Amino acid sequence: AKALQRQAPSYRTADLARLMYDEQLTAREVLERWKAEVAEDEDEEDIEADSEDEFFSSRKGDDDYVENTPVPRLNSEDYDQLAAKWSLEDNANLLRQRFTSTKGRDDNPDGFEGFGDDG
Amino acid sequence: MSASRQEFVKLTGHKNFTQRLVLATLMGRPVHISKIRPNSPTNPGLAAHEVSFLRLLEAVTNGSSMQISYTGTTITYQPGLITGAVAGYGAGDEDIIEHNIPAPCTRGVTYFLFPLCLLAPFSKAHMNVRFSGPGVITAATETGDLSIDSFRTAILPLYDLFGIPAVRIELRILQRSCTGQRGTGGAGIVELRFASQVRLPKTLHLHRNPGRIKRIRGVAYSTGVSASNNARMIHSAREVLNAFCADIHIAAQYDQAPLVADPGDKAGGKKRMGIGFGLSLVAESNITGVLFSADTVVPSKGGVVPEDIGKRCAYQLLDSINQGGSVSRAAAPTVLTLMTMGSEDVGRLRVGREIIGSEEIIELARDLKKFGASSWGIRDIDEVDTEDIIISVKGSGLGNVSRKVA
Repeated sequence: AKALQRQAPSYRTADLARLMYDEQLTAREVLERWKAEVAEDEDEEDIEADSEDEFFSSRKGDDDYVENTPVPRLNSEDYDQLAAKWSLEDNANLLRQRFTSTKGRDDNPDGFEGFGDDG
Repeated sequence: MSASRQEFVKLTGHKNFTQRLVLATLMGRPVHISKIRPNSPTNPGLAAHEVSFLRLLEAVTNGSSMQISYTGTTITYQPGLITGAVAGYGAGDEDIIEHNIPAPCTRGVTYFLFPLCLLAPFSKAHMNVRFSGPGVITAATETGDLSIDSFRTAILPLYDLFGIPAVRIELRILQRSCTGQRGTGGAGIVELRFASQVRLPKTLHLHRNPGRIKRIRGVAYSTGVSASNNARMIHSAREVLNAFCADIHIAAQYDQAPLVADPGDKAGGKKRMGIGFGLSLVAESNITGVLFSADTVVPSKGGVVPEDIGKRCAYQLLDSINQGGSVSRAAAPTVLTLMTMGSEDVGRLRVGREIIGSEEIIELARDLKKFGASSWGIRDIDEVDTEDIIISVKGSGLGNVSRKVA
């Protein structure tokens, strides 16, 4: 999964720059196009991004009266997906690179190690 | 209309309502918004929280005028001068503006705080506002608002990056409240004292490595329900997060629910409002100003155990960290707006691909352009192992002074 994620060059930035200020399209259409262009270009699209698309469309498809909000509105199924995602060791390891202090999953959960916080 | 010096910026739709009005006020451009929920069968036009925001805007500015059409689906707004809390004008004796939020409000108090804090640095006087009334919800809401704890710990520190000292911004929670019955109302009390007014926000360069998460802080709050919910939320959140980070501290906050007069009771009795619990988590990176937040709250109809709330919040936080970049989804509009308001220099911001690829950011980009700011430049980062994008924003150089010509 790690290798896959690295090699998949996802949606091209230049395309977004072109689409973003196109007043003919709504913001949603811009995003749909941006992501759809990837789908037709790359056959072996990142699986993860796929599930993510789905995961956001469930929220978008709601109705037209939804306002934009700072906190993503996720339902329990979305959380189940996230839980499944982070329970995979590969994904968790990938994410663990974004933390300063990392420890193994099987460590004592009560264990406070005094290392890693330098400030 | 013929008397107005500038042309109206014409916009449609109900989305990003506060953001558009804030931009209109900051840029000094009159705005015309039409088609606000025209087809909604139940409540067309402006919603309660939007009207309440207009009242707030009127209170903190001088000389602004707004006209709402009969159906509430169209509004024209002529911005005035951002005055803040001036004694004798709007503010009472205590140099603080009282803003009462009515009961049918479904949005949390951060819905009002986000735009208010964007206006506050450019205000003439200090921006002191006390939110009270039956519509103040300090917790996160199901409608997708941040809790006030996340706002204080993940949004306000960002103002430091712009040379707006966050130490002089005080956000006091005098009474906590969750969402009341049927998703409306709360009866909390919140006081914002924003005492750092600036000439121009500094140019921001946050385009290097977003760093690594060094600690996670959080607040678990229970209002009017057993304090043991806090411990249960914290425990389950830590179950998830302990594998990633050693330095986790989540505070537990228990409060009584606010006691308000019960309109249904003829004898003048009182009832408790805004009962519930929720969790707010903030991950801090070793680079200053890189913060990710997550919020979950129990829905007002109940039926979710605290363990689930804790877990969900933790997963949401991990997801937010995973999206990458230097700003979270919640903070991006604030940061980008302040960058646009900054001095005439190009600031850079590193954001995750999913964050810029969201409707709200694209709409923000378009709105900014319509109000006369320059377009963003976006490009990839030339680093392996990342899919983040750098947005270059040119400041409009609209300092405090230009706004005094209202």
